[in-house]
Amino acid sequence: MTEYAIDIVNVTKRYAEHTAVNDLTLRVPKGSVYGLLGPNGAGKTTTIRMILNIIAPDAGNIFIFGRPSNDTAITERLGYLPEERGLYRKMQVRRVLKFLAELKGVKGSEADRRIDEWLERLSLKTPEKDWGLAKIDELSRGMQQKVQFIGTLLHDPDLVILDEPFSGLDPINAQALKDTVVELKRRGKTVIFSTHLMDNAERLCDSVCIIARGEKVLDGSVTDVKEEHGQRNVALALDGNGMADVAQILRDHSLVRRADDSNRFFEIELAPGADPQALLRRIVESGVAVQRFEMIQPSLHQIFLQKVGATGIEEGMSGHG
Amino acid sequence: MAKLWAVIKREYLERVRSKWFLIATFFGPIFFSAIIIVPAWLASRSKTTTDIYNSIILDATGENFGRRLAINIAGGDSTNAAMLPVVRTVPPAELTQAESLATREVMRKEKSGYVVVNQQTLAGESARYAGTNATSIADMTRIKEAIKQTIMATRLEKVGLDNQKMKEITFIPLDFSTERITERGRAGSGMASVLFGFAIGFLLYMSIVIYGQTIMSGVLEEKTTRVAEVVMSSVPTDTLLAGKVFGVGAVGLTQQIIWIGTTYVLLKVRAPIMAKLGAPTVSFSLPDISLAAGILFLLFFLLGFVFYSSLYAAVGSSVNSESEARQAASPLMIMIVSTGVFIQPVLLNPTGTTAKVLSLIPISSPIIMPIRMAVTGVPRLELAASLFFLAIGCLAALWLASRIYRVGLLMYGKRPTMREMARWVSYAR
Repeated sequence: MTEYAIDIVNVTKRYAEHTAVNDLTLRVPKGSVYGLLGPNGAGKTTTIRMILNIIAPDAGNIFIFGRPSNDTAITERLGYLPEERGLYRKMQVRRVLKFLAELKGVKGSEADRRIDEWLERLSLKTPEKDWGLAKIDELSRGMQQKVQFIGTLLHDPDLVILDEPFSGLDPINAQALKDTVVELKRRGKTVIFSTHLMDNAERLCDSVCIIARGEKVLDGSVTDVKEEHGQRNVALALDGNGMADVAQILRDHSLVRRADDSNRFFEIELAPGADPQALLRRIVESGVAVQRFEMIQPSLHQIFLQKVGATGIEEGMSGHG
Repeated sequence: MAKLWAVIKREYLERVRSKWFLIATFFGPIFFSAIIIVPAWLASRSKTTTDIYNSIILDATGENFGRRLAINIAGGDSTNAAMLPVVRTVPPAELTQAESLATREVMRKEKSGYVVVNQQTLAGESARYAGTNATSIADMTRIKEAIKQTIMATRLEKVGLDNQKMKEITFIPLDFSTERITERGRAGSGMASVLFGFAIGFLLYMSIVIYGQTIMSGVLEEKTTRVAEVVMSSVPTDTLLAGKVFGVGAVGLTQQIIWIGTTYVLLKVRAPIMAKLGAPTVSFSLPDISLAAGILFLLFFLLGFVFYSSLYAAVGSSVNSESEARQAASPLMIMIVSTGVFIQPVLLNPTGTTAKVLSLIPISSPIIMPIRMAVTGVPRLELAASLFFLAIGCLAALWLASRIYRVGLLMYGKRPTMREMARWVSYAR
């Protein structure tokens, strides 16, 4: 059991109007980067809140590093970055960080030392200006996000939980976040994050779990998941003219089950039993210049669309993803 | 425990450091002492003024009477020239002329008035005063007394008493205090304790309202900025709630200790301040408070604070904006204000049925009971019952609040109905 950072067993959480999470079982291996994928309202945030023991499941059990999630000693090994970010606005940056550190059992001069280190690393403290002495209010949005990020990692948690970490990040901060995730993994930490951005997940995650409407759709390592979904996908890149003809061909359901049209690039899922050579022939015959035609593994994005589809996104669902 | 302490510390330090706290804490005592000193100062204007020192003595006695009178008017001190009225020795025949001269000086506001002493004065029959302050009872009494004293001294001297003996006999620095008796007994001390009771009631009332709302907006801030979620991932919600209530409670206590302490000191040292203002010290005795009573006051304050502030925290957690919070807190405001309405009736009849009933209900007892204790003796049984019900009320409020709080903090969107909040209470977690 202890080889898992998180072990969720048959967990259910109901609210008055709906079931947020239904009989969910998933395991996050220690030292992995794990993606919790799903559309808005799928139950991601509810799952994360249960992992963090902010709310308790109605049924089932959650174990963190082999201990029940309501074990208070466990909370000190967790770092959490919520989806909606915010800090005490009128408080000095250093004092906020020190408070958050203290809640995780890091005290006094040790907290000060780590705060300095982080502020310098994220260039919030330079010889010219120490933003640590400013109030949260006086910081730009990007800097506030950095501070919150420091707050998440200050106590050097073994398990880092990031809820939609990329939402609202500018490209520079997003890159810094990716770097940090890689760095955390290198140091043997477990990182779990929820997202609906499949590109990020595909590049960062070792394993993923796709949930929709509170239920697990699939899970496993990214490699396995992709292999399971076979070599039935084609990457197609075209040059210039004759798009209308190609569009016509892609609507032929004897050949193509689904095509993700990005104008000059297509990711195509072949229809069952269809011959990719037949498709290629048709496209060449249409007269367009083919730049690329390649059998590929499906992207997570494709798998996600295939598995969850438009039906996974319920109308009027609250943002408790 | 360490986490609870961290929460308390943050709540306390962040609030004590705020400008608002500094301003309120340091202006409070100035405000309170102004309340005490200003009326006393106003009252003193009807008492002895410095005008009497700026008067003239027209001495037509032919003896050294004028000089002695001047010293007596100055309060027996012959060294302070500023306090000694001017003495003019005048032959009886020229007295009318001297009086018209003095009248003109008073009219020109150079002098405040003049005393005429002559042979009739020496005989103890008559003396005259004319001046701008002739209507001041205190001034006139002082001059009259001084003249009497001087006559007595002159007579004693004539029978052969030496200077020293004479001073000893005639020096009577009598401190004469007055007290009014009404149908409720001796009004002087009674008034003081009613004032004291009112002050206690007002202080409790204000601090519950102010600090209750402080907690409410604190909770709301944590919710709207979503810090709550981060904190909740480290600290159980009950600990968070307790930390808030204790932390803000400690702020309130700090402020009141500073207020009461400085007001007390200001009252003790008020004599020189009031002398500077030209007012003599009014005797104002604070009612004696025993240590036990002091502890009870503190207990009622703390329990009342916990009762209301935990409910305010629940309100803060269930709403999404300040305007919603104000609306949602109105039931609490009604509870507090309706208690406030009863402060005066209870002060007037502290042993009546209304007072007794109100001091048993947890909603009103934290304010009403201390008032009763200040103005009258409360039987121990009543005190115990009041504390018991208040403690039960506190536990109930805390239980209810913690359940609403932990669900409310994570609920965004529309304001919950009463029915929804009732359902939150039933949630496991």
